Amino acid sequence: MSRILKLCSLTIVLLLCGLSAWAQTQSSTSGSAPATAQSSAPVPAMDAPLNVKMAQPPSTDDLAKGDPGGTKTGTVNDIIVSDPNKGLTLSDTVNQVGQNRIAINFTWTLITGFLVMFMQAGFAIVETGLCRAKNANHTMMMNFMVYGFGLFAFWVCGFALQMGGCAPAGTLGGANPLNSEHTISLLGKTWGLYGTRGFFLSGTTYDVGVMVIFLFQMVFMDTALTIVTGAAAERWKYAAFAVSSVFMGAITYPLFANWAWGGGWLSQLGVNFGLGHGYADFAGSGVVHAVGGLTALALALIIGPRIGKFNRNGTPNAMPGHDIVIVLTGCFILAFGWFGFNPGSTLAASGNGALRIGSVAVNTMLAGCTGSFGALLYMWMRYGKPDASMTGNGLLAGLVAITAPSGFVNPVSSAIIGLIAGFLVCISVEYVERVLKVDDPVGAISVHGTNGLWGVISVGLFADGASNYGGSWNGVNGSVRGLFYGDPGQLVAQLIGVGTLVGFVFGLSYAANFVIHKVVGQRVSAEDELEGLDIPEMGALCYPDFVLKPTSTPAGVTAREAADVAIPMHVARETA
Amino acid sequence: MKVLGIAMAVLGWLIPVATLVITQSTTARMVICLLGLALSLVGILVVLNKGHLKEAIWKA
Repeated sequence: MSRILKLCSLTIVLLLCGLSAWAQTQSSTSGSAPATAQSSAPVPAMDAPLNVKMAQPPSTDDLAKGDPGGTKTGTVNDIIVSDPNKGLTLSDTVNQVGQNRIAINFTWTLITGFLVMFMQAGFAIVETGLCRAKNANHTMMMNFMVYGFGLFAFWVCGFALQMGGCAPAGTLGGANPLNSEHTISLLGKTWGLYGTRGFFLSGTTYDVGVMVIFLFQMVFMDTALTIVTGAAAERWKYAAFAVSSVFMGAITYPLFANWAWGGGWLSQLGVNFGLGHGYADFAGSGVVHAVGGLTALALALIIGPRIGKFNRNGTPNAMPGHDIVIVLTGCFILAFGWFGFNPGSTLAASGNGALRIGSVAVNTMLAGCTGSFGALLYMWMRYGKPDASMTGNGLLAGLVAITAPSGFVNPVSSAIIGLIAGFLVCISVEYVERVLKVDDPVGAISVHGTNGLWGVISVGLFADGASNYGGSWNGVNGSVRGLFYGDPGQLVAQLIGVGTLVGFVFGLSYAANFVIHKVVGQRVSAEDELEGLDIPEMGALCYPDFVLKPTSTPAGVTAREAADVAIPMHVARETA
Repeated sequence: MKVLGIAMAVLGWLIPVATLVITQSTTARMVICLLGLALSLVGILVVLNKGHLKEAIWKA
């Protein structure tokens, strides 16, 4: 027995010795190869002139003949030479490579930002089409000027609060001037609250990279603002709209956006508390859409329903919009703009895994498609007809829901997320109208609020860990994974984000709009509302050549009778 | 009633945030998050909304 044991021991020792020797041989072989290469290959000096002839650039005579095939244009001749006396150096070449990468990313981010800006047109005509013709000028003017009010507020202070501490933004050259985040130490951790650089884009933030970030973030912020105008349409006083929009662009939106995107505490939940990669919201289901949708809910509660929307027993009346053509055209414009919204949120098309832009774009497409399927199926099965406006809302719901997860999920998950969103928007519209008895003329609360929150949660469920955009997300190494791919902590981070949206963002929006309601008054008079807001609020009809017929009063009640009921109530409330 | 509704909404947000430092358990954190979210939603959709429905324009 002992002999056998000795024999076994000897065999193991010999085996280990053999393995050790083999491992040493392997490591010395692999380690010596680069050393040999390094020692034998001469390292060129950065300022040494390069032999340009090796690149065989076309001669001036060749170029003068034209280049119909595109094979001679864009050669070594086009690299900027810093010192003509020396000629092209290695330094020139590598600097050009670096600048090219940043230039590609600048161009990508700016162009996608322009696409997002064009979404304002989509929102404007969707909302106007879903409203009655007598309010068309007013609704268009809200959507038109929310751009100006929002931009102004964001330039003055919103951008600084949001992105003032976001540096370094590697894909855009660093944006290093944005390097100051106001933090507090609480419960043994550091909590980023808001940025402090970039007010008026002045001082050191007069920087090319900062300008690109500003433009891109500004159009996102404006999208959130324009969501609110839909929920309060047909009864919102224009002056109150202006004040409310400025506040949202300056304070509400930037604060949450800082916490999620600007280096604030939500983004640090992974680093500080080990919750996945912290709150992850790729393109803004939460930051943009849920903020807009929850503010819309706060305002719709404060401002109350339109006259005639609900009967005395609380049952709702349909108040159909005046132009389904522009509604669906607007939905298409928005779907087009979403190709800027989501793929553009890589802030890059070169490096750091940014080639996932194709995947992000396809995910966006798929979720929009299945969203419209979901809504169409729901309406068809429940009401017997494939309702056009709800199908359009289904498309938007799918797009809203995929906005946060678009950079982290695969196409199958995108389709599932969109399909659920399509059903969810229909159920939510019914719940808001029939149970809450809140009047939302365009379905903004359901499309953007409900599905924005669903999008945030879906990151915590479906993120598949296939992408990390340069090695880490929110300072945590590795890729974002949801519950279904093994990281329940990510779902907790997402739920804390949802809680912050529902508790903090809604609370702040409600408080701010309540103050505005008390000071300025949010709602137009009942007489103006019944007449239509185009003349009383804007001074001109949208369709002066058309004869508008009164519609949408409670069943069996004329417009005059509705006014007789509504006007004394309104006056009583104003004087109370 | 409106103040109570808003207070519930804000409390439903603060509780999960505060408990981040109390427990390390992911399950416990998730349960507390869901409870907080439920509190916020009840505050907004039930309590606050009820406050507004009391004076709804269509009830006259």
